[in-house]
Amino acid sequence: MATPPNPTDGNPPTPATQPTQPTNQDQQDSKVEAPSQTSPTSVFVNSEPMREEQVQNAVKFLSHPKVRGSPVIYRRSFLEKKGLTKEEIDEAFKRVPDPPPSATNVNQDAQVKPSSSSQPQAVVQTLQPAAAAPPGTISSMRSRFHWSHAVFAIGLLAVSGAGTAVLIKKSIVPRLKTWIRKVVLEEEDDIVKKIDSKPSLAEEAAAAAKAAAAAAADVAKASQEMLNSKNEERRRFEEFTNLLDVQVREMKSMTNAIRKLEGQSNTQGRASFVDQEDHGIAISNSKQMYVNNKVDYDLRSVRSSSPPTSAEPSVAPHPKSYMDIMAMIQRGERPPNIRDINDQPPNPNQQPSNPRLAPRAKPWELSQAHNSSQPLQSQVSSEGLNSKVQDNGVTYQLNGDSSVPWWQQKNVKITEIENGDELKAGIYGQRFSEPPVQPPVQRSWVPPQPPPVAMPEAAEAIRRPKPAVQREQLVDDQSVTNPSDVTDELLRVTKISESGGAMEVNGGSLVLNSSVEINGGSSVLNSSEIQEDHSYEQSVHST
Amino acid sequence: MPVFKTPFNGYSVKFSPFYESRLAVGTAQNFGILGNGRVHILDLPPTPSSPFVEVASFDTADGVYDVAWSESHDSLLVAALADGSLKIYDLSLPPTSNPIRSLQEHSREVQSVDYNPVRRDSFVSSSWDDSIKLWTLDRPASIRSFQEHAYCVYAAVWNPRHADVFASASGDCTLRVWDVREPGSTMVVAAHEFEILSCDWNKYDDCVIATASVDKSVRVWDIRTYRTPLAVLNGHGYAARKVKFSPHNRSFLVSCSYDMTVCAWDYMVEDARIGQYGHHTEFAVGLDMSVLVEGLIASTGWDELVYVWQYGTDPRAP
Repeated sequence: MATPPNPTDGNPPTPATQPTQPTNQDQQDSKVEAPSQTSPTSVFVNSEPMREEQVQNAVKFLSHPKVRGSPVIYRRSFLEKKGLTKEEIDEAFKRVPDPPPSATNVNQDAQVKPSSSSQPQAVVQTLQPAAAAPPGTISSMRSRFHWSHAVFAIGLLAVSGAGTAVLIKKSIVPRLKTWIRKVVLEEEDDIVKKIDSKPSLAEEAAAAAKAAAAAAADVAKASQEMLNSKNEERRRFEEFTNLLDVQVREMKSMTNAIRKLEGQSNTQGRASFVDQEDHGIAISNSKQMYVNNKVDYDLRSVRSSSPPTSAEPSVAPHPKSYMDIMAMIQRGERPPNIRDINDQPPNPNQQPSNPRLAPRAKPWELSQAHNSSQPLQSQVSSEGLNSKVQDNGVTYQLNGDSSVPWWQQKNVKITEIENGDELKAGIYGQRFSEPPVQPPVQRSWVPPQPPPVAMPEAAEAIRRPKPAVQREQLVDDQSVTNPSDVTDELLRVTKISESGGAMEVNGGSLVLNSSVEINGGSSVLNSSEIQEDHSYEQSVHST
Repeated sequence: MPVFKTPFNGYSVKFSPFYESRLAVGTAQNFGILGNGRVHILDLPPTPSSPFVEVASFDTADGVYDVAWSESHDSLLVAALADGSLKIYDLSLPPTSNPIRSLQEHSREVQSVDYNPVRRDSFVSSSWDDSIKLWTLDRPASIRSFQEHAYCVYAAVWNPRHADVFASASGDCTLRVWDVREPGSTMVVAAHEFEILSCDWNKYDDCVIATASVDKSVRVWDIRTYRTPLAVLNGHGYAARKVKFSPHNRSFLVSCSYDMTVCAWDYMVEDARIGQYGHHTEFAVGLDMSVLVEGLIASTGWDELVYVWQYGTDPRAP
C-alpha cells in the first residue's frame, strides 16, 4: 500500500484523448501564473519553492527513533497533514542521516544514493573505501569511540590509583600499628592470668555448691507462685466470659425488641455488626457504584453534549436502532431482515443500449450571461422531454414556454426575492447584472473538449433556437481592445456565428476550440464564415 | 413538495443530467452497517402535492453508498456498493437484464462514484481501501488505480472544466488533486484537522474547491493559494457529510450534515449561511443540485425519506 501507483498498472488513456492533449498543453501554458513548472497542468501543481525550515523539521521528525519504527506511509501521512508538499517530504526523506541498526530499506537506499551533501558518507568513504557503506560507517564509528574511550579510561585509572594510595597512607597504616600493639599486650596479660588462677579452685567449688542449693529453693518457690497465678487467671477469665455472655443475651433481646417495634427487614445490617458481614456488603455496594459510573461514562461518550460552535468534533447522537444493530453485530449476530440477493449481471457481456439523447451542455459551459441560458435551457429541455414523454408514459403539460413544470417556477420567485430580500441579492445580483469587479482574466478558462456527438441530427435540432437578445447586448458592450484575450475571441466568434445565423451555444464553444487550434491570433475576425463552418465540421468528425 | 419513502436508509441522491424530472436514489439496509441495498429511479410528479413516481428499482446484495448517472448514455447509471463492487444498470433494458456489469476490484466499501462531465466516457470510484480507481464503460477492468491516501477515501470528484483533473477527500485529513496523465497526485492540501468527508469543485471557477469535514465546517479553497481557505463556513452542529456547488451560480453551495439539516451558503458574502432546512429527522447524508433546473435541490437521509424542493421553498410544504 505504500508504493506509489505505477503508470504501467493499466492501459494508457483511450486513444481518442491523445490528439487533444497537445492542444490542452498549449492552452494551459498560456495561463501559467507562477514560475513555469515542468508539468503541463500548471494550475493544479504546487508552485511554491521548498521551505527549508519545514524540511529541517521533517528531518528531525524522521530521525526520531520511535518514528523510525513506523511504516513509511504513516510518516508521509503525518508530514502531509502538517502541510508539507510532496517535494519537501521527498527531500526530508533523502536527508535523514544515519541508517538505524535495524534499518528499513528506504533509509539505506537513501544513504547509498549519491548525495554528497551529507557528511557521514564522506567520512565513510575516506576511512574504509573497500567495505560496503553501512558496515563501514558502523566500524568507523566504533574505532573513533575506542580511542576516546582509551584516553578516558587511562585518566580514570590514574586518578583512582592516586586516591587509593592516599587512603592507604592515611587509614590502613595506623590500623596496622594498633593491631601490632594489641597483640603484644595480650601476650603479656595471658601470662599473668595463668599464674593467679590455680590456688582458689577448692574455695570456689564450695561456694558454688551453696549457691546452687539456694537457687533450687528459689526456683521451687517461683514455680509455685506461677501455678497460683494461673489458677487465678483462669477464674477471672471465666468470670469475664460469664459477664460477656450476659451482655450478649441482653443485646439480643434488645434487638429483637427493636425488630418487633420497627418491623423492618433491613436490620440485618445492624445485626451483622457482630457477624462481620457488613464488610462484604460494603464491598459489593462499592462495586455496584463503580459499574454504574462506568455505564454512565459510556452513555455520555455516545450522546455527548458539547456546544455546537466548538471546532472539536463531537460524536453525533446516533439513532437508537443504529446502536441496537451495532450491538447485535458486535455480539456476532446477523440482523434478521437481510435477504440473500443475487445481484450479479445475468449477462456480463451485455451491451448497453444506444443513447436516445445527445449529451446536453452544462450551464457553466455556456456563454457568460447566465440569464440568457435560463430561457434557452427551458426550451431545450422541453424539446428533449417532449421526445420522451410518450415513452415514459407520464404526460406533462409542456406547450413551449407558456406552461412550465412546477419545479421550474422559480423564475417568478427569483424576481420577487430579488426585489425584496437584501440577503439573497448576493447570489442573484450576480446573475442578473454584469459582474462589475471581476476582471476578464478570471474568465479565461480552458474550453472543454467537444463531447462525442452520438446523434448529429439531435445536435442540429438543439442548435435551431435562436440565441437570446441579451447575448447581442453583451457582445456590443465588450470592447475589442485585447486581441489575445480568449474571452474576446469567443465573443467575436459568436458574433460571426450569430451573423451566420445557425450557431448554437454548444457550437460556440466548439468554434472557439477550432479557432484556437488554427491560429490563436486575432486574424480570426477576418476569416470567412465558410472557413469557420468547415473547421467546425472537421472537429465534429474527429471526436 | 414531493416526498418519497424508501424502505432502507437513504445514502445518496443524484439528478439525471438528461431528464429534468428524473433522479436516482441509493439506499442501504440497517443504516449501511450490514444488509442489502436498493437503487430507486424516481420521476418528479406533475404536481408538487403528488407523490413521486418510481420508474424502476434494483435490489443489491449489499448496501448502496453512492450512485452516478452516465454523462454519455441517458439510461445508464453506476452504483457504488458496500461490498467493494460497482454495478452498472441500463434502464432501457428490462429489469431481468440488469445489472449489465459488476466491477469487483476494490477490497473494501466503495464510498463514492463520479462520472466525468467533460469527457463523458469515464468515471472514478473511491473506496475505504484507500484507493481511487478510474474506469470506462467499455472495459471490464479499471484503467488506473491511484493509491496515495493513508486512510479511507470518502469522495472523488471530477473537475467540471478540465477533463483529466479530479480531487479526492480522505479520512487522512488531506485533499488531493490528481491528474490522470500524471503518475501521482499533483497537489496535497492539508485541509482540515479531522477527516474530510466530501469535496466538490466550483463550476465557474475551476480552481476553487469546497471540502466538508468531521470538524463541522465547510471550507472553500483556491488551490492556487492553498495554505489558507477562502472561506470557513461554520454553522453545522455536527459533522458535515456532503457539499455541492451550484451548477448555476459561482458562489452558491449547499451542504448536509449529521445535525439533520441541509444548509445553503454564499461563500462570498459576510454572513455566509443563507438558508437552512431541517426537514430530515435523522442524519442527512445525500445531497444534489440539478444541473438542468436551476435551484432544484434533492436530499435524502437515514430517516428513509427523499425530498426535492426549490431553493427558497419549504421542502415539507404540501
